[in-house]
Formats: sequence, structure tokens, C-alpha cells
Amino acid sequence: MNPCAVTTGFFVLGRCGRPSVTVCRCGRSVCARHVDPQGQCPECAAAQAYADPFHPGWARGYRRRYYEQSSGMYNDAVWYSRFDSYDRGQFDAGDGFDVGGYDGDGFDGDDGNDWVDS
Amino acid sequence: MFWRKTRAAIERFHPVHQGLIWQRTASVTLPPAEWDAVVASLARHAETVKRRKWRLPDRTVAVLVPLIRVLCEDVAPKGAIGITADLRGPKVPEKTGPSRKFPGRGRVRNITEWFAHDPWLAVRAELRDGSVLELTVTDRVRYRRIHKVNPRGKHKVKTKSKAVQRITARRTLQPGQEVRRPGSPPPRSVGVRIKSAKRTVISATAKLGPAPAEQDQLQWILAVATEPFRWTPPAATVRRTA
Ligand SMILES: [Zn+2]
Ligand SMILES: [Zn+2]
Repeated sequence: MNPCAVTTGFFVLGRCGRPSVTVCRCGRSVCARHVDPQGQCPECAAAQAYADPFHPGWARGYRRRYYEQSSGMYNDAVWYSRFDSYDRGQFDAGDGFDVGGYDGDGFDGDDGNDWVDS
Repeated sequence: MFWRKTRAAIERFHPVHQGLIWQRTASVTLPPAEWDAVVASLARHAETVKRRKWRLPDRTVAVLVPLIRVLCEDVAPKGAIGITADLRGPKVPEKTGPSRKFPGRGRVRNITEWFAHDPWLAVRAELRDGSVLELTVTDRVRYRRIHKVNPRGKHKVKTKSKAVQRITARRTLQPGQEVRRPGSPPPRSVGVRIKSAKRTVISATAKLGPAPAEQDQLQWILAVATEPFRWTPPAATVRRTA
């Protein structure tokens, strides 16, 4: 089973890495925690919720636009590609899997049972 | 007691939400799950409260809520986000400095000038890579009250204001966390200082004049917060241990 390829965090990027249960239409493997009722990953789901910060997925939808804007402002293409390659799953940060950013589901980061190494 | 029902509904809101209604301030440190509860409570405000007097300060929805959302992405479940927000605006007496009166010329009788110092946001977040992010936003507003007399001898008083803003973002790294100079300098509006110690501190400051419009405010805060994160390579931002 492929690990969940959902990018977690905002400034501090990580990747989920739980066992996936499905593949989103964008090609990303998604775990049970990150899949929405339509079978989408958080970023595809949040793309529809851009404007409303009360939507729980807002920050994940806004993240790509933030990286575009800030790398433009800083004239720093590396800054954007850091996010983009991470998000496209091309980034191999060695032990690039997460320790569990906050998922809004009360998941406790100390509970290592559903983490995989690669 | 026409508003009794609304008042009762407000009493069921999250205490932080209630503070933003009654005092227009908040000063609290909470874990992400509790901030989620605050945001969920704030989300019910518009449909529940129609009375203008009890509306949320504008910066609640424009700045506070999205900023909480962003920070919750980077804070571990047991980490904490502290927010001190004073959204009363710059016109309250504690924020107003002394005034000076200048003689006018021509039809201008005199000009009275004073400044308001409004530190309206301070945030501290313990991030999941072990670093700590602190943000502050301070407005400085110059007021000029101009007393004029028109040709028919009528007195007119007009007050003009001009706001500038200072945003700071400071990230204190974990001991031993790798630091790497980014390939490009920050934009001219952003200054950066690195303090190398056991825990490296990266500080970015922007002075913006005029202060950003409400709809650009969040983007500016995040833009200044960007600089301290450019200084650590991505590999070092991902740790397996909380
Ligand atoms: Zn996942
Ligand atoms: Zn997707």
C-alpha cells in the first residue's frame, strides 16, 4: 500500500505517510483521515473552499497561492519549488514523513502506531 | 428586552469569542483543538448576531481566523498558540499620545497633531519542528485636526489620518537546527537579522506606509513570516519526533 502523499503543514511542510485507502483524481494516494466524502485529497477539496477561512480545509487550499505570492515577492523560485516538489511527491527529504501536524481530529502525535517509515 | 435571545446565544459562544464581542480583545494560549473550537464558534456569529453594536471587529474574520487556520497546520496537537489581539482600534485613550498645536497660515487657523500607537496583534506559536514563531503587528497613526475659516467666516474642523504599520516575525530555532542563507535577499520592505546562539533567532521586520488595506493584511503578515522559514532547509523542518 502506498503511503498517504498529502502534504501537511504550512510553513513547516511534511507528508502524512499513513497507509492510503484510495487515490485522488490528482493522482495523490490518500489515507482514510485525509480523504473527503467525494474521494478527494484535502487540497483538491479545499480548492473549492478558497474564499472562506471558516472552512476547515481553507489553509490547505490557500497554501499553494501563498507559496506563489511569497516566492514572487521574494523573487525566490527555490521557495516555491520547495513546496511544489514536496506537494507533487518528488521531494525526498530522507525521513520526509511526518510526526503528525494537527489534523483537527484529535490525533495524538505521540501515538506512533499508524505511522509508516517509507 | 428585544435582544434577550441574541444575548443568550452569545453567552453560549466560546469564551474567547465572547471576549471579542464585549471587550474587542483576546489574550489566551490554547492548543490547536481549542482554537478550532474558537473558530467554529466565530463561524456561527454572522447568522446569530444581527445587532451592529455586537458585531465582531473587522480584523477577526479578515486576519485572526485565517491566521489561526494557518498556524494550526504547523503546530502539533500538544503544542500551543498564544494570541493577544486588541481590536479596539487606534482611537482608545491608552493608545493616544500627547498632541501638539501648530499655528496655521492663511485660512488655516491651526493644526493639532497627535499619534496613536496601536500594537493590535501578538502571536506566539510552538511549531512542530521545535521552533517557535512570534509575530507582532503594530499600527502607528498620525492624526491632524485642521481648523479652517472659510471666506464667509465660517469655522470648519477636519481630521485627517495616516497610518503606517510595522510587522515583525521572529523564529527561534531548535538547538542544532540547520541554518542556510537563502539564494535571494528579502524584498526591500523586509529587513532580516540573524542572531547565532545555541538557539538561532531569525527576525524579519517590515515597515509599511501606508498600512495595508484590510483585504491585504493577512497576505502581508504571512509575507513577513516567510523570511525566517527561508533560512532553514526543508529537510530540517521535518522531524520524526515531536
Ligand atoms: Zn493522510
Ligand atoms: Zn487531489
